[in-house]
This record gives sequence, C-alpha cells and structure tokens, in this order.
Amino acid sequence: MHPRATATVAAALLTSVLGSALLPVYALAATSWWTPVALRGTAVSAVSASGKTLIVRTADGRTLRSTDAGTTFNGVAGNPVLSPQNIVRSGDDTWEIDSNGHVLHAKGKGRLQLDPQGPDLGSTAHLVVAPAASLGVVVAVADDNTVWRRGQDGDWKRALILLPQGLLRGAPAITSVTAFTQPLTGSIYLSTDGYAVLISTDGGDDWIRAGPGLPDSVYDLSADADQHAVYAATSDGLWMHVLQRLPSPPAYTDAALVWRWIGIVLVSLAAAAAATFAMMRLVALR
Amino acid sequence: MTAGLLAIATLGLGAALLVPIAFSDPNGVDPYLARLSATSVVLVVAAFALRRLAPARPVLLALVAVAASYTLLSASPAIIRHLFGTRAPGFTTQVFLASLLEVLATMLIVVLAVRALPGGVRPDTRLQRVGIRPLAIAVAACVLLLLAGLALPAQLLGRFGLQPVQIARDLPWLAPACALQAFSQEVQFRGLLMGALERTMSAGWANVAQAAVFGLSHLAIAYGGPLAPFVPVTFVVGFVFGWVVQRTNSLWTAVIIHAVADTALTATVLSGLYGLN
Repeated sequence: MHPRATATVAAALLTSVLGSALLPVYALAATSWWTPVALRGTAVSAVSASGKTLIVRTADGRTLRSTDAGTTFNGVAGNPVLSPQNIVRSGDDTWEIDSNGHVLHAKGKGRLQLDPQGPDLGSTAHLVVAPAASLGVVVAVADDNTVWRRGQDGDWKRALILLPQGLLRGAPAITSVTAFTQPLTGSIYLSTDGYAVLISTDGGDDWIRAGPGLPDSVYDLSADADQHAVYAATSDGLWMHVLQRLPSPPAYTDAALVWRWIGIVLVSLAAAAAATFAMMRLVALR
Repeated sequence: MTAGLLAIATLGLGAALLVPIAFSDPNGVDPYLARLSATSVVLVVAAFALRRLAPARPVLLALVAVAASYTLLSASPAIIRHLFGTRAPGFTTQVFLASLLEVLATMLIVVLAVRALPGGVRPDTRLQRVGIRPLAIAVAACVLLLLAGLALPAQLLGRFGLQPVQIARDLPWLAPACALQAFSQEVQFRGLLMGALERTMSAGWANVAQAAVFGLSHLAIAYGGPLAPFVPVTFVVGFVFGWVVQRTNSLWTAVIIHAVADTALTATVLSGLYGLN
C-alpha cells in the first residue's frame, strides 16, 4: 500500500476512534426518556392504556390485559377492538376522519361537520389527534404518509414528510399518533416503523426525535392522562414514557459562572503554555 | 516539523476544550468555546512574540481563525439579545448576522496572514481562482452529494424528514447563514490551514492533516443529529473537500458543495432531545 494511502487510512481511523470516544461525553442523559414495561422479546402491535389497565395485542395475534400497570398480563378471549384512531375527543371537541379521508369536527354535542379548510387525507387515512392543552390544534396523517397540522386559526398545512431510510428502503410508515386528551401538555407524539418516536411541542410545526432507547420499530402509542404516561408498542415489547420536561442545557449563574470564567483563564493559560513549550522543544530539536 | 507543530497545537486546544468537560460538565455547555478561543489566541501571540516559533505562525493563524470565529458565531445570538433586548430580531436572523460576523472575523485573519507572513510560507487560499470548470464540478458534486445523503442510512445522519412549515419559516435566513458559514470554514480549513501546510509538505499529506483537524474540530460543535458518526463522517468530508480544492485549484468548488450540504442538513435533520441523543 502507498505510504500516503496508509497514512490517510491511519489518520481516518485515529480521528474516528478519538472522536467516537470523546463525543459521547456530550450525550450523557440525566434521566431515561423511555423505560421498558413488559413483554421484552415480543413484538407488540397495539396498546391501549387507562389507569393501571393496559390492553396489548401481540404481533402473533394474542390480546393480553394487565390490571397492575404491566406487572402481569393475562390472555383475553376473543379479539376485542382496541380504541379506534380515526376519532378523538379532546375537551369539548370531537375530530374524526371519515371514510373519504375528510376531517370532521363537532363542538360539544353538536353534529359532526366538515372542517372547512381540511385537506383530503385519502380514503385509508385513519390517524388523527388533538391535544387538549392546545384547543383547535389537530394533527392528522394522510394515506401518503404526510403529516398535516391544523393551527388554532383553522389553517391546515403539511407539517412533516418523512424521507426514505436509505437507498433501498422507503420512508417508514407512520403507525400511530397520540396526545393527552386532558390539558397536561400540548405535546404530540408520532410513532413510526423505522424512526421510533417523534415529538412536536408546538402544535405540529416543528418535530424532534424523541425515541432514545426505544427500538426503531414502534407500532402504536397510547397516552394515559391518569398515569401521566405514554405507552409504546414496539418490536421489542411494551415501553413507557412518564411525562417530564424536555431536557434542556444547564444554566450557570452567579458564583458558578465566576468560577467557570476563572477556570477558563487557568485552563487556557495552562494548555497554551504546555503547547508553546512543546512546540519550542520541537523546533529546537530540528 | 509543521505536522508536529500542528499536532501539538491541536492537542493543546483539545485539552483546553475537553479536559474540564470530562471532569465538571458532562453536557459540555459551559463557555467551552471561550477556552478554545483564548488558548488559540495565546498560542498565536506567543508564536509572534517568540522568534523561535516563527515556523508555527501559519498553522496557528489558521487555528485561531477556526476557534475564534466559531466562538463569535456561537456567542453572537446571545450578545445580540443582550444588546437589543426585546428589540432583537428573531433567532434565525440572529444566526444570519452571527454568520456574517464569522465571515468578517475569518477574512480579518486572512488579511493578517497576508500582511504578517513572508511570501515563502504565506498560505495560498485559492480564493481568487474562479472559473467555469470549478463551478461545473461543484454543481455535479452537489447532485452526487445529495444522492449519497439519501443513500446513506437515515439513522446515521438523522435526516428523517422535511418539515414544510419550519422550512418556510426558517430557511430564508438559515440557508444564507449556511452559505456564509460554509465560506468561512472553507477559508479556514482548505484556505488558511491546507494552504499553509502545502508550503512545507506534499499536497497529499497537507490534505490528510487538515482533514484530521477538520474532523476533530467538530467535537466542539453542537450537532442536532446522531453524535457517534459525526467525527468520522466529517473527516471523510474534509478529505474530499481538500481533494476537490486541490484538483480544481479553486476554493469556490468546496464552498458551494459545503453550502449545499449544510443547507440540506439544516432542512432534513430532525434534532434529538437535548442530552438524550
């Protein structure tokens, strides 16, 4: 191998190893975002949560129920329908996607009516959600996998278009969308079969990845206001996220900041002095 | 010897950046860039004060351009908010203005390098070489780069989706900001650093050395996407940019490709939860 090629490969490896070893320093999590609940090793295709009662369906078609928040599960006879996802009641509002892919809206006990500016989501569209903490905000998924959001002014816009997973794999399917139907938080959670869970905290305008620790394939979500928790049915069991603030950078103030600035000066001088000394030695040797 | 000087200076900057983080602030959000900048400034002042360190001046000027201008870029939005309070423009406008300041700081150091360094060691930044061929190569490379970006696994880069609402709101400011930042970084790494290294070593070695510094310098950047492949990917990208600059003999090829790549990443990478990537 040519010496320069060898050196290039060596430099690439050294840089990569150094970088990979050092970068995780930045990524230490304060608390876990998702924790496993049960059924690890089993693919779970659907979940419905209400208080300590969890009903799940496994990928092989079994329906299981837990009445102790997932500690134990028992089989359920028959194949009961878990909560439908094409209709959501949030506060005083009801939102539904009809069989033609149109969004319907009802206030109180009023009749469902076509939302005036609602998009045509396609005849197989069936995912809709409306967080109770942000009245008027609705997120719905079209049958072409496009995520639409309705602002509080009634204006609908395309909010998220997933990109292909790679050269030979298309965009992952959006499998579920959920939010709290009591005004705990305005967050909207979206699960995918490939990109785990995405979250929006501003009514669907901006999305971030929110699946650290979760398997990439998430088949269903269920938000339970009683437990302040979101449950995820995944390719590797049932997981839970207990409502918490989004992690944010620590802020340093007052004395801590003063000491940090003193530290900055000392560290900078020490590092610069050491490097200067080493460079002078090197120049002298040559 | 230049390679040794560069390695020592990089180690010094790395120690200033990382050692305190490892012991005091695992999230790395203390004013670490101030340490980096202060160290790079002290080093370059020492190099100009001590005649024996004259051979180190070109690479130290390049490193101070990298560290100080990035610090300016990172700190400017907060400074603008502090200065203008409620009259401050929106965040994306702040980022655009910060990117302008980064360009100004970088070009100031280019002028300093041209004025202060003798002709024999003065870096050739290849800024004045513009032509049809470099531009055509840049356009072709952009297409290839975008295809490669789509072909790579999405999880590697975090390029999960397009957000039309966010793009319409932010990209009119962020795309020009990306172009300005790309220009600054190309001047710093492929212009000042590689140009300086090429004076004392072969083009190939100079490219390897600048790519290594380019990869490692990304340790200091808060990237919204997955962290693990960040440095290896940026080493390869830096090497390719250096190779393209050397082959086309123009910095503008890399500037254009870099600007398109950064804009594409800005538009497609979905950030992770802070500290929980």
